[in-house]
Amino acid sequence: MEIKQHIKAVALTAALATGATIASAQDKEPIRFGLCFDLSKSYTFISPQVAQAAQDLAMYTNDNGGIEGHPVEVIVRDHGNEPQRGVECYEQLKRDGVFIFNFLSTPVTNAVMPRAMKDENLLMQSFVGRGDAVDGEVFEWVFPVGPTYWQQAANDVAFIKEQLDGDLSNAKVGFIYLDYPFGQEPIEILKTLSEKEGFELELYPVPLPGSDQSGAWSKIRRDKPDYVISWLLAGGHVVASKEMRRNRFPIDRYLTSNWLNEVDIANIGAEEATGILRGTNVAGGQEVPIVKTMLETYYADGKGSGPESLVRDVYYNIGMAIYSAGFEAARMAIKENGWPLTPETMKTAYEALSGYDANGLMAPLSVTPEDHGGGGKTRIEQWDGEKWVPLTDWSAEYLDVVWEVIKESSEKFTVE
Amino acid sequence: MFYRLSGVHHADYVSDTRIFKLPADRNLAAFIFLFGLVAPFIIPSLYLNSYILPWLIWTAAALGLNLVTGWAGQLHLGYAAVMAVGAYSAIHAARFGIPWEFALIIGGLSSSVIGSLFAFAALRVKGLYLALTTLAMQFVMDWVLTHSPAITGGSHASLQSPTLALLGQDITSDAGYYYVAFGWCVLVTIFMLNLKRTGLGRALVAVREKDFAAAILGVNSFYYKILAFATSSFIAGVSGALLIATFFFLAAPEQFSVNVSIQVLAMVIVGGLGSVIGSYFGVALILLVPGLVNGLVVAGSAGLGTQINVETLAHIPNAVYGALIVVVLLIEPLGLGKLYGNIRDYLMVWPFDQLRK
Repeated sequence: MEIKQHIKAVALTAALATGATIASAQDKEPIRFGLCFDLSKSYTFISPQVAQAAQDLAMYTNDNGGIEGHPVEVIVRDHGNEPQRGVECYEQLKRDGVFIFNFLSTPVTNAVMPRAMKDENLLMQSFVGRGDAVDGEVFEWVFPVGPTYWQQAANDVAFIKEQLDGDLSNAKVGFIYLDYPFGQEPIEILKTLSEKEGFELELYPVPLPGSDQSGAWSKIRRDKPDYVISWLLAGGHVVASKEMRRNRFPIDRYLTSNWLNEVDIANIGAEEATGILRGTNVAGGQEVPIVKTMLETYYADGKGSGPESLVRDVYYNIGMAIYSAGFEAARMAIKENGWPLTPETMKTAYEALSGYDANGLMAPLSVTPEDHGGGGKTRIEQWDGEKWVPLTDWSAEYLDVVWEVIKESSEKFTVE
Repeated sequence: MFYRLSGVHHADYVSDTRIFKLPADRNLAAFIFLFGLVAPFIIPSLYLNSYILPWLIWTAAALGLNLVTGWAGQLHLGYAAVMAVGAYSAIHAARFGIPWEFALIIGGLSSSVIGSLFAFAALRVKGLYLALTTLAMQFVMDWVLTHSPAITGGSHASLQSPTLALLGQDITSDAGYYYVAFGWCVLVTIFMLNLKRTGLGRALVAVREKDFAAAILGVNSFYYKILAFATSSFIAGVSGALLIATFFFLAAPEQFSVNVSIQVLAMVIVGGLGSVIGSYFGVALILLVPGLVNGLVVAGSAGLGTQINVETLAHIPNAVYGALIVVVLLIEPLGLGKLYGNIRDYLMVWPFDQLRK
């Protein structure tokens, strides 16, 4: 049944995209997506995968007639995680006719955001930058499609509640995090939820880059929390897994944010990592239709936009998710309002995405003018030694609590 | 030939202590100043806005660091932290409703206070120990910024700056921002050019060369070191505030992190310690060249029609840029300012010096 649906959907997408315009696709004006990424400094653990996904998706779209007949052009530049160079890249591409940007770096997105909002250009900022940017009423031109860290943490708590038979009043939840804004972000929401649900919250800050966690884990051994939610990155997970083994903390009580990929699992050891939990908004693996299509169409003949190893990485799927949503919005915008595609029509189309899941690639997105995040649904998956097994369905919990935090934060943003 | 010396006589002290002793230098400076004035009408807004404007602000900042490192000889690894103090205090003052003119001064003064307070403690030690103490200041500031939402503005720590307004005029155009940055850079440059002609400048140089020898000559080295720190911190504070008000429009801790401190120090060292024009060159090399080289490499690879992986493409400019710094320092360890000086000296009597050889 499910497979049948997938096939139908693939066929439908292909039919919509192809239309009768294959021949003329290359003559028409292109739709340009600007990707100013950090490909050389701090974000290199994710940016190549996302860039490659965007390029592959653009190639596939163009080979199938483009978006409503218009080819897609993906422009990738490096900004080395330096705000100054990000601004430079933005200003340069803006003049080259790009109005849909992605910077994939918190410092650079922050630096560019005031400009993009003033110029009324679209900013795709999934997973980076201010969490409260999902508030579409304040951040009109920013589209952080995907769950905020607040929402992820809230969903994690809901999962723990479910595991503990719906009662958190006697529970103890640990939170281990990198002691800088990325890691500190969920604290507020966790505190609010701990008051609401009555669980005990223990905080374990870890200094950057997360290679020294011995103090935190010996404290965890003493505190014996039921679950530990983890906001660590890359190597931090590997160190955590060693410490868990040393302190006899079961790894199946270790729940990470979406930043845990195949490389990290390989570094921990596939066997050793069995049981590890991850909250995510995209389906990982290569069985997802669009990823499978890419592997069959391009990588089988060595025609992909980069090494195949990067495709076998969940961050590639994240990139696919971000850009499927972007391409879909562009398609809807042209369909509704015709060419030329403008920031306004694109924005309206983005805000009309409803129940879009890119063919089973990600949690269904329903973007609205108020909620630019698309609902913030995630699911919890568990590593079984070979692959990720979803434990829950896509869902977003404690929306009222999360939105209270979002609103409280976003209202302080605007100044005259 | 270009720097004609004939007819240039300095017969009294006033003329001998001029900023520009040669008409050629003065004319060049005047030309550059005039060019700076009309730049918004000549230069496309892309270059004005994303290259020249940050270049001017960072030059002002680098000149401030040059004061303490180049003139007074005190290694400072926490300069970005001082800039952060100025930026955050000015923005908070402006958000509070204080006019920008005063907000900028408040930013400068609070930087000055914090910078020299720290110097009080730091100056008990010298050389590498001082460098480490200033580095500690940077880390303290990083920690404070990432842990106090009240200062850095809540979610993911970014604080939006109110619209810049000077003398009752809202500044929102590219040209407006440019003139603010240009004005500040010119002010700092004039101050620095004049510094070496004043007693303060000579005292600082004496302290740099040998602080106890300076003390024997009656120069209170501790006092002058503190003064150098306070003045440079003031410049840092205002530059930091202007950087946010005219370029980023939003302050975030990463804009003033430890690598920024090291970058500013690199600007000063590559440019040349104690050289005003060197600071301009140094900032251009450290700040702008990575972006320019990146653009060139991208254009080059597109022109050749080669399919280079995006990641490789991103790393080539880094290698080129690194090599460029090494080459500059190999050719002239005293920096780009000295390199310019060499060329100028060579041309001073050219081609007549060729006759003797």
